[in-house]
Amino acid sequence: MMDQRDNWHLTDLVEHESGRGDPFAAAVRATRMPMIITDPRQDDNPIVFCNEAFQNLSGYDRDEIIGTNCRFLQGPETDRAKVAEVRTAIEAGTDVAVDLLNYRKDGSTFWNALYVSPVRNSDGEIQFFFASQMDVSDRIEAQERIARQKAEVERQVEERTADLKTALDDKTLLLHEVDHRVKNNLTMIGSLLRLQARGIADPDILARLNAMLERVDALASVHRRLYQSDDVTRFDAGAFAVNLANDVVASSGRTEIDVKTDVALIDIPSTNASALGLVLNEIVTNAVKHGFADGRAGTLTVTARRDADQGIISIADDGPGFDASSTPEDGLGRMLIRRLSRQIGASVDWSSATPGARVTIRFAMEPDAVRAAA
Amino acid sequence: MIRLTSPFRVLIVEDEALLAMDIEALVEDAGHLVVGEAASVDEVHALPLSAAPDLAFVDLQLAFGSNGLDAARLIHERWARAAVIFVTANPKKIPEDFAGAHGVIPKPFSRAGLTSALRYIEEGLIAPPPTSPMPASFIASPAFAASWED
Repeated sequence: MMDQRDNWHLTDLVEHESGRGDPFAAAVRATRMPMIITDPRQDDNPIVFCNEAFQNLSGYDRDEIIGTNCRFLQGPETDRAKVAEVRTAIEAGTDVAVDLLNYRKDGSTFWNALYVSPVRNSDGEIQFFFASQMDVSDRIEAQERIARQKAEVERQVEERTADLKTALDDKTLLLHEVDHRVKNNLTMIGSLLRLQARGIADPDILARLNAMLERVDALASVHRRLYQSDDVTRFDAGAFAVNLANDVVASSGRTEIDVKTDVALIDIPSTNASALGLVLNEIVTNAVKHGFADGRAGTLTVTARRDADQGIISIADDGPGFDASSTPEDGLGRMLIRRLSRQIGASVDWSSATPGARVTIRFAMEPDAVRAAA
Repeated sequence: MIRLTSPFRVLIVEDEALLAMDIEALVEDAGHLVVGEAASVDEVHALPLSAAPDLAFVDLQLAFGSNGLDAARLIHERWARAAVIFVTANPKKIPEDFAGAHGVIPKPFSRAGLTSALRYIEEGLIAPPPTSPMPASFIASPAFAASWED
C-alpha cells in the first residue's frame, strides 16, 4: 500500500489539462462539502478560494468571503481554546481537526467539523492551506441531548437515593426508639411485679407471682438478646438457653447447683424467640424446683445441638429421676409448655437421665439456617 | 487498688421512680445499704458528702435532660473511690473507656440478672478476681477487669 505522504502523486497519474478541464479543480468547485483555500504568504492568511457549498453553508457571497481571514465565522459562543488549537497548528504547519461553533451571516449557529491541512510545494514550503467544513450540528446536538438526559437521570437517581437514605435513617431511628420503649416498659413491668411480690405473705400466691415474674424476666431476656445482636431477624436459641439457665439458678440463690453447658449455635427466626424463651423458662424453673429439691446440690446440664434439620435443646438434672411429679404441677406452666411448643412446631419430651430427669425440645430448623451453619 | 468490705454503701441514680424502688429493694435483699437516691445530676450534687457511697448504679438517661455520664463524672469527683455501674437500655451509648465506670447492666434486667451482676461486682470489689463467671446481665469495663491484676 502506498504511503499516504506520497499520495500527491495520485492526482498526477491522471492525465488532465489545467484550467477548465482539470477534474480535481472541478471536483472541489462542485462537491457538496464546503471547502476553502487560504494563502499564508499574504498578510493575515486570507481566503483565496471558496466553493459554492461553503457559500451555502456560511450564507455569505463569494465577494464577501474572498480576501478575508476565516475568523469571520467565529462568534461570541465559539470556544477560544479550539480556535487557539487551529492557530497553533497553522503556525506549526500541521494538520488539525476540531469541532467549532460557527456563525452564519444571518447570525444562526452551526457545529463545524473543521479540517485544516497545509499544501506544500516540492521544496516543502507551505503554499496554501486547504480547509474543509462539515455541518455536524445534528451529531453534536444529539451528543448534548444524551449528556443532558444522562445528567438528568443521574440527578434523579441521586435524589431518590437521598430519599431512600432518609427513609432508612427514619426507620432506624424509629426502631431504636421503639426498642428503647419496649425495654423501658418491660423493665417497669418487672419492677412492678417485684415490688408487688414484696408485700405478699401467702406462700402460694407469692410462688405464683414469682413464677409470673420469671416469665416476664424470660421475655425481657429474649428482647435484650435480640436487640443486642446485629441481626434482629435471627435468634441464637442455644446461647439463650445458657443465659436463662444461669439467670434462673442465680436468682434462686442456689449456689450449690452447678450449671454445665455444651451448646452449638442454633439460629431460629426471631418470631419464635419469645415462645421458645417461655418454654425454656418453664422447663428450667421446674428442673430447679424438682431436680434439686430440698437444697440438694448437683449439676444442671444444658445442651444444644443440631441434628440434620432438627434443633435439639435439652435440660437435664442429676436429681431423683423422672416420674409424674417431675412435670410442672403449676397448671399454667404445663399449658404454656404444651401450647407454645405447638405454636413453634416443637416437641417436648420428658425422659430419664442416668441419674435424674431430662427434658428434650426438638424443632425443625429452616433449611437456610442449616445450610448457613454447615 | 482499694478492696471493699460488705455491706456496700449504695447510691441509686435513676429518674424512673419504679425502677429506683425496685433496684433499692434488690440491693437491700443482697444485704447492702442504700445511702441515697437521685433522679438527676443536680440531685447528685445535693447529696451530702457524708453519703460516701462505695457503689453507684447510674441510669444513662436522667431527669431534666441530664445524663448518666455527667452523673458518673460528678460521683467520681465527689467520692473518688466510688465504683459506678451504668444501668441502661442503651449500652451502645457508653464510651469505650466507660467514662471511668466499672461496668454496665443492660435494661431490661431481671431479678436474677441484677442479683447475679451484683454478686459478681461484690466478688470483683471485695476479693478479686471474681470466682463466678461473668453473668450475661453484666459487662465489666476494661479498667475494672484490669484492676484484678493488681
